[in-house]
Amino acid sequence: MIAALAASLGLDPGDPAFWMPLVFMGMLFVLIVAGTVLDGFDLGVGILTQFAPAHERGRMMALLSPWRDANEFWLLLAVGLFVAAFPFAWGAIMGNLYAPLTLMLLGVVLRSVSFEFRIRARQETKPRWLLGFWLGSLMTAFGQGMVLGRVTTNYQSLAGYHWFSLFVGLCAVAAYVLLGATWLVMRVEGDLQRRAVNWARHAIRWTAAGMVAIAVTLGLANPGIFYKWSNLAHIGPAVSTWVAMLVGFVAAEVTLARVPRQGDRFNGTPFVICVCLFILMLGGLAYSFFPYLILDEMTLWDGAAALSASRLVLAGAVVAIPLLLVFNLLAYRSVFRKERPPLPAAPRAGEAR
Amino acid sequence: MTLPPLFLGRLQFTMCVAFLGLFMALALALAWLLLFFKLKAHSTGRPGWTAAYRFWVRVFALTFAMTLACGVPVLLQLGTVWAGLMGRIGNVAGPLLGFAVLAVFALKSCFLGVMLFGQRRVPEIVHTLAVLMVAVGMAVAVFWVLALVSWTQTPNGATSIDGRYQIDDWVAVVFNPSMKSALAVTALGSALAVAFLIVGVTAWQALRRPLDEGERLGFRAALLLACIALLILPAAAWKAGAVIAHYQPAKAAAAAAYWQQDDPPDAVLLGWPDATSASTLGAVSISGAAGRWLGRGADGRYLALENYSGMQPPVALTFLSLRLMMVLALVMALAAWATLLKLRRRNLDPALLPRWWLRLLAVSGGAGMLFVVAGWVFTLAGSQPYAVTHAVTQAEVLGPASARALLYGTLGYFALYGVLLSAFLAMLFHAARYGVVPVRRALRGAQ
Repeated sequence: MIAALAASLGLDPGDPAFWMPLVFMGMLFVLIVAGTVLDGFDLGVGILTQFAPAHERGRMMALLSPWRDANEFWLLLAVGLFVAAFPFAWGAIMGNLYAPLTLMLLGVVLRSVSFEFRIRARQETKPRWLLGFWLGSLMTAFGQGMVLGRVTTNYQSLAGYHWFSLFVGLCAVAAYVLLGATWLVMRVEGDLQRRAVNWARHAIRWTAAGMVAIAVTLGLANPGIFYKWSNLAHIGPAVSTWVAMLVGFVAAEVTLARVPRQGDRFNGTPFVICVCLFILMLGGLAYSFFPYLILDEMTLWDGAAALSASRLVLAGAVVAIPLLLVFNLLAYRSVFRKERPPLPAAPRAGEAR
Repeated sequence: MTLPPLFLGRLQFTMCVAFLGLFMALALALAWLLLFFKLKAHSTGRPGWTAAYRFWVRVFALTFAMTLACGVPVLLQLGTVWAGLMGRIGNVAGPLLGFAVLAVFALKSCFLGVMLFGQRRVPEIVHTLAVLMVAVGMAVAVFWVLALVSWTQTPNGATSIDGRYQIDDWVAVVFNPSMKSALAVTALGSALAVAFLIVGVTAWQALRRPLDEGERLGFRAALLLACIALLILPAAAWKAGAVIAHYQPAKAAAAAAYWQQDDPPDAVLLGWPDATSASTLGAVSISGAAGRWLGRGADGRYLALENYSGMQPPVALTFLSLRLMMVLALVMALAAWATLLKLRRRNLDPALLPRWWLRLLAVSGGAGMLFVVAGWVFTLAGSQPYAVTHAVTQAEVLGPASARALLYGTLGYFALYGVLLSAFLAMLFHAARYGVVPVRRALRGAQ
């Protein structure tokens, strides 16, 4: 398959001009999946803070705290890699996403500043920053959903497609709520856990609706993708993706229904299933679009930077990533090693991980 | 009334860059100053240096959070507002931006956590090393950002082939003609922003209560830093002016309000440049003194604004932002040097200043920050209408976003940044008055 693809571009499979964009695409996909899942439960918990009783909110934020340092970076890294590796697709894609991206950016700025300022603010002003974090999370989730809606319809500007992207924005909020709620189910117990189960069961329907809508629209709005999915060679992956998603939603619903009765051991199952669903959906999208960045217009190779620039970027990534891993591990070990400070709001020791 | 998309795009981009530039400058200079406090605490053993570190590291944490958050919009606006730009300069800008992001990521994920939350968990030397690495990381990130900004001002080392820049020589790209002066002016600007912030806040504290050791030491260091930076500033400005005159003559003509080629090259100190009548109203000028800062054409005559009709930068904005920088520099020089002279025999203790003097110092605390903002406005406004000097105009790379969307976006940024700025100042002054609020961060312990 690789050889056929290379031949269709008139390139040798060993040629850097052929494989470099593929490598970048792989890295970008990993960053996007990691960002959606890891930043996703962060967003979800952020959206849920205002629905939780006031005395639980601090506890929810404290649970997020150790993850924030890493989580707020996925977006920046993905954006940085995208602009460095595919500069010629960047403007064509971003230019069409002004409104949803601006909404998302305002949200991102608001929530990351609110989080950092909240932990340093005095007690009386903390609720205000919490509200900022909530609003920022909501805007980010909605904006990301709208981006997804615009990408799904390949940036076509019929009025109906705008309503569609608003709908997807709503469903994305639900999807992140689902992720955040199932994460909470895994991490806490007692009253907050019961609430989280309830939130998750409400959110799961909207998430399913959104994912189905995206899959259907993807085919209907883009003849190229419709052709690809209905082609006999692709029917296997298509059917198995649909079946897997269906099984995933049913399984999530079933396990959620049992959570309060089960022992602690299986509390993580709904979260794991939801993560799988997210990966499945993003994987399906990537599969549908490949090898295009903009459907039927611009392939990975059209969008990629010149070879000399790509080499520099790849060299930077190859040198930096192992270094970053080592330093991260060292830093976390040195911070965690000695003492374990008492958690201010969390009642049980099992949460300190 | 409808505003044209191009104007809104410029407004939004300039606003976001200036806001990012302000906090980036604060974070950069604070990181190095904190390293200095830390090293002083080691070498002298005086607890005051540790107290100064403790207070200003909190401000650094706030400025860093703002820098990080506000960097993302600017990066994305290179695609959403200037949609065509990366298609032209992607080969140059891609790696430079990638390296800047990587540098920020490295310093944040590897060292910042230890610096802010790990002081009691790691050996002292490791903590100092983390502070050093944060300062170095800040400098590296700013270096790559400035490499890109200065390259768009004075492009070099790359050739545009079929509308796309291809790299000839990376060294020439990074060390383009205006890179050195951009580095110098940015470093000095950020030093001044932080130095005057510390001087102003300490003066404000001195008006309310007796100062402690740490505040006195912080004031001393900041005052000396301001005096040194203001000594170097004229040299850096001289060099930067010469570079602009040579490579961006239209910007130089706008900065000097030099309208017609036949005019004598007067150095206009103050006045209101009026584009409709192509003259400067109420000009106060030194006759014939501006020749040095004007570009010359092939015939040896000075290049005036009339040579660039239709391609002029906004003259009033360029002229006035530069005058604002000059006035602020003058005010800062007066304040810093007068205070230094007044206190030179008194161990630079601000408590010995008269109250009116402290009040003036407190008011001038924002002068450095305003200087940085004016600097970014001058840089961006002066290079209009180009996105890349003499090669790519902003109009041709503007994205398809509608005027209405751009207007709402701009208003959104304006409101959000206004809230964040006032919250930052409120927290700064609350901490200055009552001391820093102790942080207890789950699993990371108290700072």
